[in-house]
Amino acid sequence: MHSFIHFIMGPMVWISFMIFFFGVIFRFLKMFKLINEKEIFIYTYMSLKYSFRSIFAWLIPFLPVSTRKSPVFYSISYIFHLLLFLVPVCLLSHVLLIEESVQWSWFAFNDSVSDTLTLVIIFSLIFFMVRRIVVPEVKFLTKPSDFIFILIVGLPFVTGFLAFHQFFAYRWLVIAHVLSGELMLILIPFTRFSHMFMAPFTRAYTGSEFGSVRHAKDW
Amino acid sequence: MKLKQCIFIMMILLFVTAFSAYSKEDIPTADNSAFKHPQRPAAVFDHDEHNEKANLEDDCSYCHHVYENKKLIKDESSEGSSCSECHPLKSSLKNAIPLRTAFHKRCKECHFKSDKGPVLCGECHVKKAR
Repeated sequence: MHSFIHFIMGPMVWISFMIFFFGVIFRFLKMFKLINEKEIFIYTYMSLKYSFRSIFAWLIPFLPVSTRKSPVFYSISYIFHLLLFLVPVCLLSHVLLIEESVQWSWFAFNDSVSDTLTLVIIFSLIFFMVRRIVVPEVKFLTKPSDFIFILIVGLPFVTGFLAFHQFFAYRWLVIAHVLSGELMLILIPFTRFSHMFMAPFTRAYTGSEFGSVRHAKDW
Repeated sequence: MKLKQCIFIMMILLFVTAFSAYSKEDIPTADNSAFKHPQRPAAVFDHDEHNEKANLEDDCSYCHHVYENKKLIKDESSEGSSCSECHPLKSSLKNAIPLRTAFHKRCKECHFKSDKGPVLCGECHVKKAR
């Protein structure tokens, strides 16, 4: 049992990060290959100016018109995406495990802060799930896989929350927590989670097309 | 029928957690007084019981080690002085291993090696009964 825990909390963490890292590089290479094969003409209107104009416009909360049309959804979405990154990176237990293995260390939240923020993340995910069932135009676009992806994101947070409070089956919850976290990291480059690093490029393309071709704003 | 089963299972879970919490009272813990704002309960640790189980009774210096100029002095032990006398709260040039890391590594590395004992956060930092 100890050697299994040692493996998933040691080498497997680095293996997951490597798969994530090389997966991202692979996805970028594949994207540029695809552009060169099928849509090389986009370079005629790709523009740095319009790319960054679009990226920055969409970074400002509630500047784009569509975000103002669904303020509740976008408020939750903004907070969720921020916390999804911030909570795991600034979690005391994570920071000290990294400090113990490679002597790097950075800011960490108090445990009670992380605890509350984790609940915010979990409730946001429940909101996204309910939205896919309740809102007709979203329901129309929803596939079963959408719920599976929400579950994959939720699992590390739910197991982490339950383990932190030591409600039951502590060791198994930590094992499930570690494995689900690693699963998510590995899946990021190869699933729609890739919008984590692809989103700026989607914006750059749309921004360039709207700016250079249609002479219009895209927000 | 199903609802009744659910309630029954939840009652059992409630009792189990209540009793396990009750039994955790008055367990001896490691001295964490050097930490100003400890975020977790002090680690569960019964010195004598641990050393009996781990066959460490004659080898105090295994944990109570002495380092001079970053070299381990063999067979010399530092019992009587507390860990925080050498290990600062934050790593410094004098001692690169801060107190928290020293505690964690001293316990976990040995437990992993010997395939015995607690290795996960909450297995030592057990939440006390409220």
